[in-house]
Amino acid sequence: MGFRPIESEQMADIPLPPGFTAAKMSQAQKAFEAALGADRVFFEDVDRVGYQDKFAIDDARHHPAGAIAPTALEEVQAAVKIANQFRLPLWPISRGKNLGYGTSAPELAGSVVLDLSRMKKIEFDEANGVVTLEPGVGFYDLYDYLQQHKLPFWLSTPGNSWGSVIGNALDRGVGYTPYGENTKNFCGMEVVLPTGEVVRTGMGAFSNAPTWGLYPFGYGPAWDQMFVQSNFGIVTKANMWLMPEPESLMGMDVEYDRPEDLKAMVDTIGPLRRERLLQQSPSIGNWLRAAAVLTTRKEWTDKPGALDDSVIDAIRRKFNIGWWGVSLRLYGREEVNKAAYRILEKAMTDIKPMLLKPTSWVKGQPMEYSGWTGTPMTFPMQNINWYGGRGGHVGFSPLLPQDGSAALAQFQRTYARYKEFGIDYQGSFAFGERHLINVNAMIFDKDDSAKMAKIDPFFRQLVADAKAQGYGEYRTHLDYMDLVAETYDWGGGALRKLNEKVKNALDPNGILAPGKSGIWPTAYAKERKA
Amino acid sequence: MSRFALAALAALGIAGVAMAQGMPKPTTPVDRPNATGGERLYVEHCAMCHGPNGMGTGLLGRRVEPALLEQRDNLNAQYVIMAARRGIGNMPPITRGEVSDADLKLIADYLAAGPHGGKP
Repeated sequence: MGFRPIESEQMADIPLPPGFTAAKMSQAQKAFEAALGADRVFFEDVDRVGYQDKFAIDDARHHPAGAIAPTALEEVQAAVKIANQFRLPLWPISRGKNLGYGTSAPELAGSVVLDLSRMKKIEFDEANGVVTLEPGVGFYDLYDYLQQHKLPFWLSTPGNSWGSVIGNALDRGVGYTPYGENTKNFCGMEVVLPTGEVVRTGMGAFSNAPTWGLYPFGYGPAWDQMFVQSNFGIVTKANMWLMPEPESLMGMDVEYDRPEDLKAMVDTIGPLRRERLLQQSPSIGNWLRAAAVLTTRKEWTDKPGALDDSVIDAIRRKFNIGWWGVSLRLYGREEVNKAAYRILEKAMTDIKPMLLKPTSWVKGQPMEYSGWTGTPMTFPMQNINWYGGRGGHVGFSPLLPQDGSAALAQFQRTYARYKEFGIDYQGSFAFGERHLINVNAMIFDKDDSAKMAKIDPFFRQLVADAKAQGYGEYRTHLDYMDLVAETYDWGGGALRKLNEKVKNALDPNGILAPGKSGIWPTAYAKERKA
Repeated sequence: MSRFALAALAALGIAGVAMAQGMPKPTTPVDRPNATGGERLYVEHCAMCHGPNGMGTGLLGRRVEPALLEQRDNLNAQYVIMAARRGIGNMPPITRGEVSDADLKLIADYLAAGPHGGKP
C-alpha cells in the first residue's frame, strides 16, 4: 500500500494553460498572494498533486498549476479580477469531492483551482426550512449544525456525502428522500460573474425582500439553473429548502431474483412515483452495488473477465441478496403513510419479490442512520476496493424514460458490453419524477494498467450505444464533457452554440472554467476534444 | 459476516438482514462538545471517513486492528501528515486549501498521542 507519487517524481514542469509562460504564472501567483495572503495560495508540487483527479482514468490529464482558497465574497471578486488581468483560467470547486467526475481537477490543464472549501457560513430560517449556505459547507457540517441547534429538518444526502451541499446540487447530484432531486431545492443564489460583478437571483434581486429563499423565480427570467453545470458564474452563496422531519417513515426493502425482473420493477414503481404516492427517489440497484461495499473480488475468484453466473450466485447466496434490490420509503403523517403502505406493499408483492422486508419508524423512536433519513455517509465508497489496489470509479449515466421494456433493453445491451470488455457490472436505475437515471459504475484498480486501458474505449462505446437509443448523460467526468456535449446535437448543436454565445458575452476573456460541460470560450476553443 | 457488513447491507436497503444492527450515527462535533485542538479538528475533517460508519474505517478494518484511527497506538505524526497530503491506498490526498498545514499538524499530533478512549 504505497503513497501516491508526487508530481515532481513524474513531471518537472508546472502545467500551464495554452499561451502562458512560467514567468507569467509566477507573477499571477504573487498577485494572488498580495490579494488573499500567502497562506491561501498554493503552488507547490504537493498542491498540484493534491488537486489532481484522484480517480483519473488518464493520470496525465487535467493537472492544475496551483490553487487559491478565498474565504469571502470580496476575495473571490479579487481573484476573478486578477484572473482577468492575467487571462488566467480559474476552475472553481466547492469542496472538490466530486469523486468519479473529476474531483478537484480542472478540465483545462494549467488552470488555477479556486477552492471555496473555506467558505463555510450557514444561516438558517427555521420558520420556513430554508438554509443559506456557502460552498464550503459539507453535508456533515450541515448535519452537525442541525443537531447543534436542535432543528427538526432532514438533509438529502448522496452516497458520498463528503462533499459540498450546494456543490452537489450544482452538479445535479441526487439523494433518496422526497427532496432527493437536490438541484430542485435551490431558491436563489449569490453569484460572482466572470467579470467580477455580483448578482443575486430570484427575489434576491429585490433589496430587502423577505422572500429570497421562498419564491425561486423572481420577476422575469429565472437564472438559478443557468449557473448549474455551467461556467457562467461562481456561486458564493445559495438558499436551499430542507425537508421538515416527518412524523413517520415507512417502507420496505425489496429484492428480486432475476435480471428480467427489472422490467416489472420499473413498470410498478414508475406509476406510483408519477402519481406521487411515492414521493422519494428510489434507486433500483444490482447485486454488485451491495456486494462491492461488503467484499472484494479476490475473495470469490481469480478468473479474469467479467464474473460468471456461478460466482454471482455464490455471492448472492452468501449475502442473501437479489439480482436487483430497491428500497421504498413513505414520508409524512403516520395515518397517511399506513394507507399508502398497503397500496405499495400489494404492488410490490404482486410482482413476486424474492424478499420483502418492511420498515417503520415514528418520531421519537431510534432512527435508521441511512440515506432515507438524510444521514450523511461515506461507506458506499468502499466499493472502490472491489478489485483491490488503488481503487476508483467513473460512472456512465444516461437518462431514460420510466419504461420497463426500455430499461430492460438498456440493461441487457449494457451488460453485454461489460462482459465484452471484461468488467464487472454495477448498475442502477434511479427514479426522478418522470425519468430514470441509469448509473453504470465502472470500478477500477489504478494499479492494473491493462484494465485501466479498457476504461476509456469502454466508456466511449457506452456513449455511442446510448446515443443510438436517444439516451444522453445527465452528468459526466472531465474526460467526456466534450464527447457528451456533442451528443446533444439537435439543430446542428444549437444548444452548444447558445451556451457558447452566452459564455463569450459573460466571460470575454474566457477565464472561468473553460471546457466545463463542453462549453468553450473563444479564447480556448482549440482545446475542445472529443 | 461482520457487524459492519450487516449494518452496511441494512443501510443500503438490502432485505434479509437485521435492521436492529443498524449503522451507528455519524460522529460530528456535536457528539464531542468538549473536544478542542487536534481532537476537534479530527472530528471535523476526518471522522466522516474514519469514524465508526466511515469508508476509511470499513476498508482499514479489512486489514488493520483497530480500524478506528483514534484507537491506534502506533501512528507517527509525520506518517499521518504524509498519508493525508499524498493520499494512501484508497484515500485521496487532503489539500492545503481544505486543511491547513497548522491544522493538519494538530490532527497528526493528536493521533500520534493515541490511543484515545471514550466515545467513538
